[in-house]
Amino acid sequence: MWNRLLDFISSLKLTVICLSLAMILVFVGTMAQVNFGIHEVQQRYFQSLLIWWPSGSHGLKIPVFPGGHLLGGVLLINLIAAHARRFRWTWSKLGIQLTHAGLIVMLAGVLLTDFLSVESFMRLAPGETKNYSEDSRAMELAIIDESDSQLDQVVAIPEARLKQPGAVEIEGLPFQITIRHFYQNSRMQPLDKAGSNAVPAATKGTGSQLAVSEVPQATAENERDLQSVVIEMTSIPASGEAAAQSLGTWLVSDQLVESQAFSYGGKPWRLVMRPQRYYKPYSLTLQKFTHEQYAGTQIAKNFASHAVLKDPEKNENREVLIYMNHPLRYRGETFFQSGFEQNDTATILQDVYNPSFVAPYVACVIVAAGLLLQFGYHFVRFLRRRKTNHAQ
Amino acid sequence: MKYFQTRLLCGLIILSAAIPACKDKNAVQVYRVSKAETESSAPPKAAAPESSGMGAMPPDHPAIGAPASAMAPAAEPSRVTGNPPSNWVAQPLTTMRMASYLVKGENGTSSDISLVALAGPAGGVLDNVNRWLSQLGKPAITAEQLAQMAQHVASPLGDVTLVDIEGLPEGADAAKEGRIIAGIAPVDGKSFFFKMRGNAPLAESQKDGFIQWIGSVRMNETASAPDPMAAAPAAPLPSMPSAAPAVPAAPEPQKEQIKWEVPAGWNAGAAAAMRYASFAVAGQNGEKADISVSVFGGDGGGDLGNVNRWRSQIGLGEVADGELKSLVVPVAGKDSEILTVDMTGPKGRILAGWARIGGRSWFFKLIAPDQLAGSEKAGFQKFLESVQFQP
Repeated sequence: MWNRLLDFISSLKLTVICLSLAMILVFVGTMAQVNFGIHEVQQRYFQSLLIWWPSGSHGLKIPVFPGGHLLGGVLLINLIAAHARRFRWTWSKLGIQLTHAGLIVMLAGVLLTDFLSVESFMRLAPGETKNYSEDSRAMELAIIDESDSQLDQVVAIPEARLKQPGAVEIEGLPFQITIRHFYQNSRMQPLDKAGSNAVPAATKGTGSQLAVSEVPQATAENERDLQSVVIEMTSIPASGEAAAQSLGTWLVSDQLVESQAFSYGGKPWRLVMRPQRYYKPYSLTLQKFTHEQYAGTQIAKNFASHAVLKDPEKNENREVLIYMNHPLRYRGETFFQSGFEQNDTATILQDVYNPSFVAPYVACVIVAAGLLLQFGYHFVRFLRRRKTNHAQ
Repeated sequence: MKYFQTRLLCGLIILSAAIPACKDKNAVQVYRVSKAETESSAPPKAAAPESSGMGAMPPDHPAIGAPASAMAPAAEPSRVTGNPPSNWVAQPLTTMRMASYLVKGENGTSSDISLVALAGPAGGVLDNVNRWLSQLGKPAITAEQLAQMAQHVASPLGDVTLVDIEGLPEGADAAKEGRIIAGIAPVDGKSFFFKMRGNAPLAESQKDGFIQWIGSVRMNETASAPDPMAAAPAAPLPSMPSAAPAVPAAPEPQKEQIKWEVPAGWNAGAAAAMRYASFAVAGQNGEKADISVSVFGGDGGGDLGNVNRWRSQIGLGEVADGELKSLVVPVAGKDSEILTVDMTGPKGRILAGWARIGGRSWFFKLIAPDQLAGSEKAGFQKFLESVQFQP
């Protein structure tokens, strides 16, 4: 039984099945972009183990097709197994082995990229300094203790955690946060305009005057969801106290442009839903942004950001120039010149962290070396045979 | 076969080692950052544990879990128009800020100026003032104390309750802290917050400009987020009322950026619908002169129609088209000619001027008792002469 399983895992049959399913997945996923948009399709079809149906429902779901991660993972195991099984130290097979090894590196690199890479954006106006970039989709709930005159203490709860109802265990907060309801995409209305049946979204803060409703997720490429979450704060009972007391519910949302202030324990606090931030041990200061256009047109010829990179830990303090096709690579992150704001008031840098970015290059080199070896070996053998035939 | 199993096991172990164990989208982060938006160093870790035991990331490692694809943040158009002092440097807008400026003084001093909006009373005036006081290390005040210290400034957004508070919390940077001059305007179920925070002497020197800016700020109707809750491109909230004055058939001026010099003694008056700006002058015996600036699309009802409407307001009869020419006196503005009339009737006196620029009609009107209007006529004339539609 074990041997039969190993035979199957390392079989060409499994390779063909995986590749066939992958072709179907790519086709179906491409077609699905019409309705769901590229981001949602990537999440549902290619960056998942299984494709579930129905897709948008909260109720019972059944898996209907293997997702990209499952197919890629199985294909990777299949390749490793085949490699392990058929590997022989012979010149005649070395090219094939190398080619397979290259494919393994390629597949593993894709999976690692999916798991590890982070894409975010840093928006800088001239003279502005930032040591964080912001996610363009994922949000976070920031609970900020403003009591210190110099530093704010921030508790940042990522969107993925906000989607899970229940208490959030956070050490250091003097109160308990409990997720009551998460709206992936929501719309708000003032309570007095939301109809007679409307109820306040929360008991405290701005949400006490707003009604919030869930709407279908945004699927177009240039749209995004407006997430909202209702949280409840409860006191943490001190020893001897019977139970925690509710401090009220709060609505925090991507749509609320101002943070909400409250006081607790004699300290001023703020609540805000904001793009997820990725802080860095270094900073970038934009000195100048240039945007050149072809004469007589508004077609961009070049846009470039002159910035100063400061990294106290590494004693870095140097000027950098980031422009089209010439990104800044620093500490494993790559800053691309991505865009700019109207009237060139700010530059937008795309910040990509991808520790496995080198995998495709390595894979290509290995595959190329393998193919060269394989074809070279056969070519040399062919020449020798021909020479022998001529001699005869 | 045994040899194969060993090699397969080795391969899978290497593979599993390569799959990161550190990926955790749920990890709650706790850190400390500088109060300024533009920190220059990494956030030092807080004393509290980093997360709920769901795994931690390396110190210099960005958080994990962003989607592989992402769209660039959309360019954000200005949501308001106004006339900030020339030494204020516009700052990038954020999801919270509808307007943002920085003014720098000597020796590295600076003040930050912002306008944000929030649905509802947003805690109310008193709570917010007390919050600002706490930021400056000052004790909270009562409603009575607030009433004594608050000033009121008229702006196109509505009546603005203005407070000016000073204090330097222990350890604060005096170059960037020390004073908050802030105003709150509750309008149509929303609260608009004007705030200047920074070095105390610098804020003092900028106070007049700050108040004048408040008096000039109006909503940019073409921008995407006139209300405090609709900022993202995908989801405007169409049902939310706009705070912008309702000017029928006249899009909000965006490019004109009209400028003028306000004569001494004119106070920014209460905003009202259909007005671009208002001023008021107090005379003797409680008399008041009301000065308004309005803009309409097209010809704004025509010269004759408007003049006869004004005449009816001061108890005069209508004039015919032929008689109108004898009433009109042209005045040279900075970049255009403004037609004016001066009419006195039993109910008062009206000094009015109008000009048509870029398909819109601008109207400037002063209405007051005869004597007060007469004393303000020279100022009104200078005001018209200072009007610049396209600076």
